[in-house]
Amino acid sequence: MTLRRLLWGVAALAVLVAIIAGSIFIGLFEKSVVAKDIDQPLGADEMKTLAERGAYVAVAADCYACHTAKGGAAWAGGLPFETPFGTIYASNISPDKDNGIGNWTRADFHRALRDGIGKGGSHLYPAMPYASYREMTPQDVDAVYAYLMTREPMKVANRENELAFPFNIRQSLTFWNLVNLSGEKPANDPARSETWNRGRYLVNALAHCGECHTPRNVMQGMDQSKYLQGAVIEGINAPDITGDGLTRMGFDVPLLASFMKSGISAQGAMTNQMFEVVHFSTQYMTDDDLKALSAFLFDLDAVPDQSPPPRAPEPVSVAPELTASARATYTNLCSGCHGAEGQGIPHVVVPLATNASMRINDARNFVHTVLNGISAQRFPGLERMQPMPSFEDKLSDQQIADLANWARATWGGRQPDVKPDDVAKLRKGG
Amino acid sequence: MTLPTKKLSLTVNDKAIDSVDVPEAMMMQDFLHEYLDLTGSRMGCGQGICHACTVIVEKDDGVLDEVRTCITGAHWFEGKKVRTVEGHAKRDAAGVISELSPVQQAFIENFSFQCGYCTPGFVTGATVFIDQLKRKPVARVDLEKAITEALDKHICRCTGYVRYHQAVRDLVLTIPDLVKA
Repeated sequence: MTLRRLLWGVAALAVLVAIIAGSIFIGLFEKSVVAKDIDQPLGADEMKTLAERGAYVAVAADCYACHTAKGGAAWAGGLPFETPFGTIYASNISPDKDNGIGNWTRADFHRALRDGIGKGGSHLYPAMPYASYREMTPQDVDAVYAYLMTREPMKVANRENELAFPFNIRQSLTFWNLVNLSGEKPANDPARSETWNRGRYLVNALAHCGECHTPRNVMQGMDQSKYLQGAVIEGINAPDITGDGLTRMGFDVPLLASFMKSGISAQGAMTNQMFEVVHFSTQYMTDDDLKALSAFLFDLDAVPDQSPPPRAPEPVSVAPELTASARATYTNLCSGCHGAEGQGIPHVVVPLATNASMRINDARNFVHTVLNGISAQRFPGLERMQPMPSFEDKLSDQQIADLANWARATWGGRQPDVKPDDVAKLRKGG
Repeated sequence: MTLPTKKLSLTVNDKAIDSVDVPEAMMMQDFLHEYLDLTGSRMGCGQGICHACTVIVEKDDGVLDEVRTCITGAHWFEGKKVRTVEGHAKRDAAGVISELSPVQQAFIENFSFQCGYCTPGFVTGATVFIDQLKRKPVARVDLEKAITEALDKHICRCTGYVRYHQAVRDLVLTIPDLVKA
């Protein structure tokens, strides 16, 4: 082969790559899952009937939690999302014509929720979980649309995202979508029960559990090979919620369903983002839906009539000097609230002996909580948990590592593998 | 039944307590009440909420820290310097109180409390707050907010906090260099 021919070959390849990249960029490979008939607007009567059901669908999809800033106007957006590429602000989805979705057609709304493309063709960032909502049924999307249109319009301007180049180019999301967007909702699996199929729809589409509980790939898309197997988000471990992971934490189907309703269980109280999930969403879900959601996560067709709760893990024995150091710290600083044997105080303080943070594979949540504490929280049904103070300035890295190792070995059956350096990293926010 | 004990040494109100056998799981509050007869730190909620039980721990660098004794083990105070509400006023050679601390005096003058159950905690909290201001003064405009934030965790069920707040503000304004212009 002559040099000239080789150069021609490289040039041709470069042109081809440029053509393909250009085609992706302008969206030639984007596949909409929104059907043609959605272009037909909904009638006033239809909108009215749909809105009623839409209130429930919007709750199950937890739209409010992200689209309302802390202390901000309802549905007016503004809640910040810190991403590795910069800060994204949730948008105003109230029916205000200037700032919200008041001018959006039914089809615009469907395209946003399921294709990730907003009115006028501008791409949404996947902080909006359209990769999950893609599996929503057109009927449910219609219902949410109808419901949102009945909300009060909020004259609140959208905040500009603060993203670094090239992530501030919305059109570049065509590449992300090509890799990370799957097809539409899988058809009901006839081999599985109605409960399982409903649970799958709730988990995968509406409640978009995978968005936090699935590790992200290099492009920040969900790593489908590790779906629901746990991930670190905002410094917290969103634990493995596959059947195995849930069993390890001590849940079975009815216990999990009740945890999603009340936010409180022997495994602890909901904290961080899951507190908000219960607060704004799952507490309002029907018992049947919560059971379906739980049954699917355990891959069961029905809720077992009676199941013995999962056995507590066997304690792992630790060195006597570790026990001495940790037990002293525990007795002096923890036992006053959590009890001498980690039993907690009902309605006031969570138990530790059965706590999920002892049992999950990563000690991060335990250490994070000791370092940062937890604010007082109100739960459904007049329950409340008192605040836990931060022990950042009272305990050294070594003392926290000892405490984590001893507590997790004793109550969680986990190997004592936390090093003082691990604590130091988390102390610095890592 | 015998409770397992451990030796405890610490300083309370400038008095050295040397090697006392104290149950391992005993809370500081019980140690103060039952071993030292210092009953001024109040048992309120017993779960770390009301802050009637707090004492001062003076750190090596002189900084004062407020600690809840109802939920903190006595042995956590090993080797530490503790001041309870009994240790704030000046006493004469016979141990009789000769002069209240400025915070205590301010609370009396402002009729800050009624039943007095929460007062030891407020005396402790306000003393620690003034110590913080000595190290890091606040702007005058922020003073009221700073007082609220510092004492917010203390619960009082009689007087509605207003006179405690007022007493601390008046006192802070009479001590030089606690507020910036």
